[in-house]
Amino acid sequence: MSITRLPPGFKITRETNTEEFFINMGPQHPSTHGALRLTLRMDGETIVELVPHFGYIHRGMEKQAESMSYLQYIALSDRQDYLTAIQNNLGVVIALEKGMNVGVPEKGEYIRVMLQELGRIASHLVFFGCFGGDLGGQTCLLFGFKEREMIHDILEEVTGSRLTTNFFRPGGSRYDVPETFIPRVKAFLDHLEDAMRDYERFLSKNIIVLERSVGIGVLSKEDAIAYGCSGPVLRASGVEFDVRRANPYSIYDQLDFDIPVFHNGDCYDRYKIRIAEIHESMKILRQCVEKFPKEGPWRSKEKPVRLPVGRYYSEIETAKGLYATYVVAATTGEKPYRIHTRGPSFPHIAALNKMAQGHKISDLVTIMATLDPVIPEIDR
Amino acid sequence: MGIINLAPKVLDPIPGGKYVVNAIDYVVNWARANSIWPLTYGTSCCAIEMMSSSMARYDIARFGSEVFRSSPRQADLFILAGTITRRMAPAIQMLWEQIPGPKYVIAMGACTISGGPFIYDNYSVVRGAQNLIPVDVFVPGCPPRPEALFHGLLTLREKILKETCREPWHEGDIRNVSTMDRYREAAKTWAALEQMKDEEMADARAKFKEEHPDYKSPYKPVRIKKEEFPEVERVACKRYGMSQLDIYKKLKAKFQSVTVHTHSEDPIEDVVAAMPADRPLEVMIDVEDYLGAVEYVKNDPEFKMDFLIDVTAIDYDDHFDLVTQLRSIEIGHKVFFCVQIKKDFNIPEADRPTSLLGKVPTISHLYPGAEVKEREVYDMFGIDFEGHPDQRRIFLDRDFVGYPLRKDFTHPEMIRRPV
Repeated sequence: MSITRLPPGFKITRETNTEEFFINMGPQHPSTHGALRLTLRMDGETIVELVPHFGYIHRGMEKQAESMSYLQYIALSDRQDYLTAIQNNLGVVIALEKGMNVGVPEKGEYIRVMLQELGRIASHLVFFGCFGGDLGGQTCLLFGFKEREMIHDILEEVTGSRLTTNFFRPGGSRYDVPETFIPRVKAFLDHLEDAMRDYERFLSKNIIVLERSVGIGVLSKEDAIAYGCSGPVLRASGVEFDVRRANPYSIYDQLDFDIPVFHNGDCYDRYKIRIAEIHESMKILRQCVEKFPKEGPWRSKEKPVRLPVGRYYSEIETAKGLYATYVVAATTGEKPYRIHTRGPSFPHIAALNKMAQGHKISDLVTIMATLDPVIPEIDR
Repeated sequence: MGIINLAPKVLDPIPGGKYVVNAIDYVVNWARANSIWPLTYGTSCCAIEMMSSSMARYDIARFGSEVFRSSPRQADLFILAGTITRRMAPAIQMLWEQIPGPKYVIAMGACTISGGPFIYDNYSVVRGAQNLIPVDVFVPGCPPRPEALFHGLLTLREKILKETCREPWHEGDIRNVSTMDRYREAAKTWAALEQMKDEEMADARAKFKEEHPDYKSPYKPVRIKKEEFPEVERVACKRYGMSQLDIYKKLKAKFQSVTVHTHSEDPIEDVVAAMPADRPLEVMIDVEDYLGAVEYVKNDPEFKMDFLIDVTAIDYDDHFDLVTQLRSIEIGHKVFFCVQIKKDFNIPEADRPTSLLGKVPTISHLYPGAEVKEREVYDMFGIDFEGHPDQRRIFLDRDFVGYPLRKDFTHPEMIRRPV
């Protein structure tokens, strides 16, 4: 039986002998990681085509930004990708710094890099938990969140907030770090090293994980680039691209770390690459702990945040991928004409159709988990 | 519910029957208050704190709520974790209707209480969950800490323990009123109270002044002297790929309409050559050359722009600027194409806010990722992409009127930010 009229978004026309049907998944669904709605065209249990529907958490941030000052927008950037809030802050702040032409002292840069990497580890730990949880192992959720709470303790001590940090400012950050910061990071790294060994033993060689993720949801190198994927998803498909290396910001060019690259592009590689990135982040943190300047200024002289006429662009590598901020200042002043954010999850969900086609519906849950999308960042 | 509520009717006439009714209340409430099963529902930041609170450190199981149900039909409690948008509102009302009674609702976070950070200049956020469904407990915070959520749970527990057979839980109504600005109303009441207090205190203040004509407050304003730091120079970014000047020259040789907005009188070449290395080159190009130029930089072996960062637009009085951001993964340089799309002023003025004002060819056949990005631009600005395979609204409802990111956009639900 062939379908003569397809619902909006579906494109493939084909003749089949079986009866096709449509399934709606979301917007309230435990494995869509928030308010995402997917419509699936099924042939038996196999996915023929998948159409994502966005906008269930579209909050109009870009419209709001037009009536806000630049500093107020930093607080909104927390709420885009709340798992990497501290990294989003930096993305916005770097764009403003380019306009204001201010520099950052060495200690300020170290604070930035260390908090960035702590945020990256926290986000990947949530991925670890959700990946295990979506495969049916609820224990992983408990494990991932256990170490994440320790990072949140550090973040709370430094920034005053657990999740929505709103910490960086043009020229540095809001506060200096307390004296206990470095010892705590050191203790945390020692603990995490042991914990990660346990976790990898727990999940990486698990037969259920291997059966359900190896060869599932393959994204080829060409497709990954064409769809604009970035971050771990792109690197799992064999493309060596990391903004920290390609266009180093802050002091990433002075630090020694590797970019892990995997070549299969399936769910298992996307899982392994995040584990490898946690280890790289730990390497960066260890270097920073050693080199951390004890004295010296932690921010440059405070200036009013006024940007001259022009367009400013910044990009950073968050835990999810390339996070770019595009600021348009039409008049010299405290308010932007327009701020646009490019979040990494949007292209990933656009490429989901490519990955899920031909797989079973239960594999879709695995694929969604390994993309690690955050929906408010897509809808903004 | 149901049969238990008949208990007073049957038992009260019997001598000593009310003690039995009280015992029934005690047992039922003990069971209800100690196993409140929440629904797995979360839209944004608060959902993560809700997850944290159910994990090892905070352990929501201490309060009997560890069983997060994925189906509303098995849940008792609806924790509204995260912003509610107008598009999500019908789904929330439906979920609430599907939960069997007695059911309770906790509004978690500032967004579900009043709209939170998204209260002003916003066309899509519902200002408060109580405008949609009856709410039992409000938990403030942005996002609330897990401890705050527990406080909300315990408050709900107290509320449940107060229920009796005589005054049972009753289902509230689904509301579908237009959203209201609670913050402003609260501010007005507050201002009225302040004024009242001020008037009441006026006499006392005048009296005090008469009695103590030269009274000076012992407190002096303390101004902490700010420390001054020397500015440290930013580490120069490494140079990758072609320089901006080379890119500009190559494009200029191919396409006549290529220019660069420099905001200065100097020749373009000098300004482009003096650009810092980490600043991407933004070239202006005519609409006619746009598709050709994108095709050229994608296929040219020296450019190899294979990665589309983003497609976005900016609204000006008489034109749109469509900005296409491209990058070469292999070589490392970036080019931003900026196309000026003149607004079509032949359309009568009354129809302009609801009609497509500009036209530009699509690039979604060159970059598959551009499809959703162009849909976003279409949705937000009302620019027509010729040849786009699937041009629909992406973030807003199909029947939404107007294009929100235009500067002249108005919406009946939008409240201007008080300056």
